[in-house]
This record gives sequence, C-alpha cells and structure tokens, in this order.
Amino acid sequence: MEPAAPSSPAPPAPAAPSSPSLSSSSPSSPSPPPAAAPGSAELVCAQGRNLKAVLCQRCGSRVLLPGAATFARRELLLPAMKKKAVAAAAASGGDVVREHWLVRDMFSFENVGFTRDVGNVKFLVCADCEAGPIGWHCLDDKDSFYVALERVAHE
Amino acid sequence: MAKTYDYLFKLLLIGDSGVGKTCLLFRFSEDAFNTTFISTIGIDFKIRTIELDGKKIKLQIWDTAGQERFRTITTAYYRGAMGIMLVYDITNEKSFDNIKNWIRNIEEHASSDVERMILGNKCDMNEKRQVSKEKGEKLAIDYGIKFLETSAKSSINVEEAFFTLARDIMTKLNRKMNDNSSSGAGGPVKITENRSKKSSFFRCTLL
Repeated sequence: MEPAAPSSPAPPAPAAPSSPSLSSSSPSSPSPPPAAAPGSAELVCAQGRNLKAVLCQRCGSRVLLPGAATFARRELLLPAMKKKAVAAAAASGGDVVREHWLVRDMFSFENVGFTRDVGNVKFLVCADCEAGPIGWHCLDDKDSFYVALERVAHE
Repeated sequence: MAKTYDYLFKLLLIGDSGVGKTCLLFRFSEDAFNTTFISTIGIDFKIRTIELDGKKIKLQIWDTAGQERFRTITTAYYRGAMGIMLVYDITNEKSFDNIKNWIRNIEEHASSDVERMILGNKCDMNEKRQVSKEKGEKLAIDYGIKFLETSAKSSINVEEAFFTLARDIMTKLNRKMNDNSSSGAGGPVKITENRSKKSSFFRCTLL
C-alpha cells in the first residue's frame, strides 16, 4: 500500500495535474442526459439515470445502486488502470474518458474509496480491491462525483 | 434526490504503522489491485454501506495512512469521529503496548463520547504471536472497551468488528434521542436483535 515498487521508474503523479485543465476546456456544467451514445443507451433510463447497478469490473463490489446517478458527458483525463508491472512498462499515461455517471451526494455511493488530493482532485477507486481510478472528483465542485462508464461494470 | 440512508457514521482506524489498518479496509488483502498510481497517492477514506436492524448505515472510514509515524494525529483528524478502531498487531508487542498511548491521544483530542473498540489484528499468524488473547481482553476490560482478534488476511472478525462498532454507535444515538424526546412525541426507538439479516460487508451481493 505504501510507496511505489522499486521497479516503477517514475511516480505517475505528473499525469494527474493535467486533468483539471483538460476538464476546464469543457463546459462547467455537464451536458444533459438524453444524448447517450449507442453503447450507453441501454444503460440509461428515460430520466437519464443509471438503469443498472454499477459494479467494480475486477471484483464486483457494488459502487452504485440503480438510479443513484445521472448520465453526463464531460472530457476527463483518468490515470491508467494498470497493475504495477504493466504500468512500469507503459510508463505514465491515462485515458480521456467522456461518459460518466454523475453522483451529486458522496453518500449516494454504496461502496467507494477516495484517494488523497492530487492538486484539487480526488480520484475514486473500488472500496474492496482498490482498482482504479474509476472516477474523478474536483474539490472546487463539492457536489459532483464522476464515475467513468468504461471503467465499471453494469448489472 | 431523497436521502437514501438512515445513519451516517464517521469511523477512524488508529494504531501503530504496520499493524494492518489499511488491510482491514480491503476485501482482498493480498490481492489488492494497487496500481502504482493509487498506491503512490494513497487512500484518504472509504464509504461503505451496511444494513443493521433494517437500517441502512453509511460508514465513512478514515485511515491514518502513515501519519501516525510522525505523531501528527491531532484534533483535526478526530473531528466528527463517532467511532474509533484501535488496532494492534498480535505479533508485535510494541504495537500492543502503544494502545494505551493511542487511548490517551483519543482522550486528548477526540470527542468524549466517541465509541471505541480494540482489535488485535493478524490473528492468522499464531506461530509468531507475541500478545496473548487474554492480554488483549484484559486491556479492553480495563478500559471498558470491546475487543476482537481479527485477521484481515483470512477475513476473520473484520466484518463483525465494523458491525459491532456501528451497532454500538447506533444504540448510543438512539438512547440519546430517547432522552431528548422523553417528554415529547414519539415512542421509544425499538432495536431488534436480528443479526441474521445483516447484509454482507466485504462480499458483494450479486444478483
């Protein structure tokens, strides 16, 4: 749990600070729900909420109950979800993710972990196996918690 | 959206470095995903949802994440805490002796009515044991605190520990509410003993 393994050449922290600036290029308020992409259409109900429960892809831990979040589009940079060895080989890097479940109250989550601050951002991880980051929270916007659709499972 | 839970408890994990506090928060202690990125920045807190007597309880669990090494655990960390797990390692006598210091630290900085519990962790490592179970029990009795031996690695008593602490906090809250409203409306809050219905804390219920 403590410092990075000796095998990893450089701390991946530099990947993080770019996320707030990247996100600020998009509108400050997330876009309305109806325009779900084809892939996410069957996951969103008529009210724009998540039809299915949101689970950890790796261990199945329950992150959100059905209906606990709304679909939102926003470009965010999330550090890669890779294990140490792979991450070391792939150096730094992250993915730009665009489709999210937006949660308005931190305690709407069933199970989730929050990392310590990276700049003004906290990343969200699975509470049970700490796979992640699965989501993003900016300290400047206390009432917005984003969970990337492509980083979670739906059931 | 309407509030979807009945109670919200802030819990802290306290104890020397290396006693396995962080592991108590894992479901898979050895198999933690631990990306370089996440292990470098560290976890601040976790939110977990449990069900107790039909009530939905959100636990916000904070890990000191190494601050204990620098003895920088102060009032800010304890603020708002309703329950504290005091953790030692049964294979490390020093960590057990330090529980007394941690209790003193809590008395200095935390709210006086915070619920406490002592956990002797790593009880799967019996061959390396330095602190007997009786010794742990005696310490707990001396302070009037509940005690359990746990193993995060073997998932022994971890769930029970969090349920017990949550239950004690809930009981205390209900008692307080009753005291405050004894003359007013509303009957006593009924607490039913129904442990069989408890939802799984560290196991996900798949549909």
